[in-house]
Amino acid sequence: MRAENYEARNHPPSNEFEINFGPNHPGIEGNYALKVKVHGDEIVAARADGGYLHRGFEKLMEQRLWIQNIALVPRICVPDPAPMEVAYSMAVEQLCGLDVPVRAQWLRVLQLELSRVAAHLFTFGGHAATTGMYTPMFWGVADRDLLLDLFEELTGGRVYSIYNIPGGVRRDVPDGFLERLSTTLDYIDSRLPDYDNLLFTNQVFVTRAKGTGPITQAQALDWGVTGPNLRATGLAFDVRRDDPYLVYDELDFDIPTEQPGDAWARTLVRRNELLQSIRILRQIIDRLPGVAGPIRAPIPNPLAWRVPAGEAYVRIESSKGELGWYVVSDGSEKPHRVHVRGPSSMHAVQVLEHLVTGCRIEDVAQIMFSLDACPPEVDR
Amino acid sequence: MTDDTQFPVKIEQPGQVAQGGNVFSRVFDELTAFCRSRSLFILHYCTGCGAIELPPAMTSRFDMERLGISPMVSPRQADILLITGYVSVKTLKRVMLTYEQMGSPKYVIGICSCTVNGGMYWQSYATAKKLNDYMPVDLYIAGCMPRPEAVITGLRQLMDNIAKGEANGWQDYYRRYDYYLGNQQRLFGETWQTPTDVIAEAKHYDLFGPETLGKHTELLLQHQKPLEALEMRLGLDAPEKVKS
Ligand code: SF4
Repeated sequence: MRAENYEARNHPPSNEFEINFGPNHPGIEGNYALKVKVHGDEIVAARADGGYLHRGFEKLMEQRLWIQNIALVPRICVPDPAPMEVAYSMAVEQLCGLDVPVRAQWLRVLQLELSRVAAHLFTFGGHAATTGMYTPMFWGVADRDLLLDLFEELTGGRVYSIYNIPGGVRRDVPDGFLERLSTTLDYIDSRLPDYDNLLFTNQVFVTRAKGTGPITQAQALDWGVTGPNLRATGLAFDVRRDDPYLVYDELDFDIPTEQPGDAWARTLVRRNELLQSIRILRQIIDRLPGVAGPIRAPIPNPLAWRVPAGEAYVRIESSKGELGWYVVSDGSEKPHRVHVRGPSSMHAVQVLEHLVTGCRIEDVAQIMFSLDACPPEVDR
Repeated sequence: MTDDTQFPVKIEQPGQVAQGGNVFSRVFDELTAFCRSRSLFILHYCTGCGAIELPPAMTSRFDMERLGISPMVSPRQADILLITGYVSVKTLKRVMLTYEQMGSPKYVIGICSCTVNGGMYWQSYATAKKLNDYMPVDLYIAGCMPRPEAVITGLRQLMDNIAKGEANGWQDYYRRYDYYLGNQQRLFGETWQTPTDVIAEAKHYDLFGPETLGKHTELLLQHQKPLEALEMRLGLDAPEKVKS
């Protein structure tokens, strides 16, 4: 090192210091940063600093064929990739007026809910780790791996499955898959009391998470907060129920809500949503064998596929919140314009900046994980 | 140095140098290399999507810790810089700062196809395509994304290489600093500099060679205002030195 960089200096005139929180920080989720100004250990100002994961998706997609983009889109949100493929495929289907066979719709719901369970397990493991409890994290990751095994069996990929194509899904469930799924679900169900003991009734976690980073319902609506973070403020809004897509209107599930809107409530909502997803998956196990038919509608030669001109907007509920896809076609082989309305860009920028201001520095990581923001999706 | 330099460059091994000399120093070198390979700390820096396979690799199912590998939060104490996927230009700056902060010997592993040749994002305007243009890479683990088993196998390979004294990419950074700096300057601009004095370190490690200096390091010296980088980062005005 250059010696002159290490000379002692006068302190700045005030007692406030600026600290870079991330991108290389164990408490930050992914490759993301916050610039915070601290007074003692209280944060007086915060500025989100994203862009470390920017790849220019919306531009890249304009340069690839409709079918090639399927391989690209899951990479937008790494922990929960399935909703991206489904939403993009649905947008293309809307443009072409393709009807998706019923069985394919069931399979899509199966994939979406599996992905939701995996993402929620990951998130509350992560939230626990930021409060210093590593056991739930180890368990969460290990239990999520069981689901990844199922993904691998169903789709061939552990994380990025690329299971959907416009018109349907790529393959049917393998033999015996539904029984194995059922066993795994039973196992995860049986683990939930352990998670409760370790996390939700743990005094350390309760003390640290309760009252941290509260959002009121009015603020949540103003700021565009969606998903579990919105439901933690007491508003039961879920795209799956309020604007049903695929076969969600035939399924029976509840929308869990909690009241105070703090970190505790947000994580508790996720835990309860996990139960609901398991409930949905059980219904799929029961009803999928009774749904016969093809898994894919025929599409024209994908390498020379001209999608009719027009625009489509599709919204679905991902594990992070409401996910919207706006796709414009000018009748050519490639999309004319694509825009992704990801839930995390609201949660990780304006909401996070607002919530960490005034809290203590050790709660920053906790607030970020409780918001379940997904940095690659913020930057895109 | 031209751009089409083959990588990895064959470098003389310290162990081989010692062969003619003292037996004890050779035994000592081998012992050090063996011990080093059994206690590796990985820096926690998730640059891209490949990072999602690290929690499974580190925790109970695949359990990296049984190999003596565990995560570390500070670059100063870490041995391995794991680049888990695509690096955007903004990230690459931080990666370079981090890499230069790490103490030698240090090892770089590029996980994911994106670090090898740009992968999925080969035509993206925002990402750096080939990692070994900017820093010497000891090992690549290709795949989109590589499974935890592949990551573990790659790490075992690195352990073997270290034990055999073959993982010497870090020496290349000092020997051919001008080449790496040139590539960095092409991306970040000619005024790019980091707070680390690599040239002094090269002399310290006895790795100063004919290719350490060149036209790019000349630019660096020309633009370098020693205190400015840090001052700018802190956002302070002209430095006021404490009177001793
Ligand atoms: S190789 Fe694939 S998984 Fe890895 S960073 Fe690139 S796109 Fe992501």
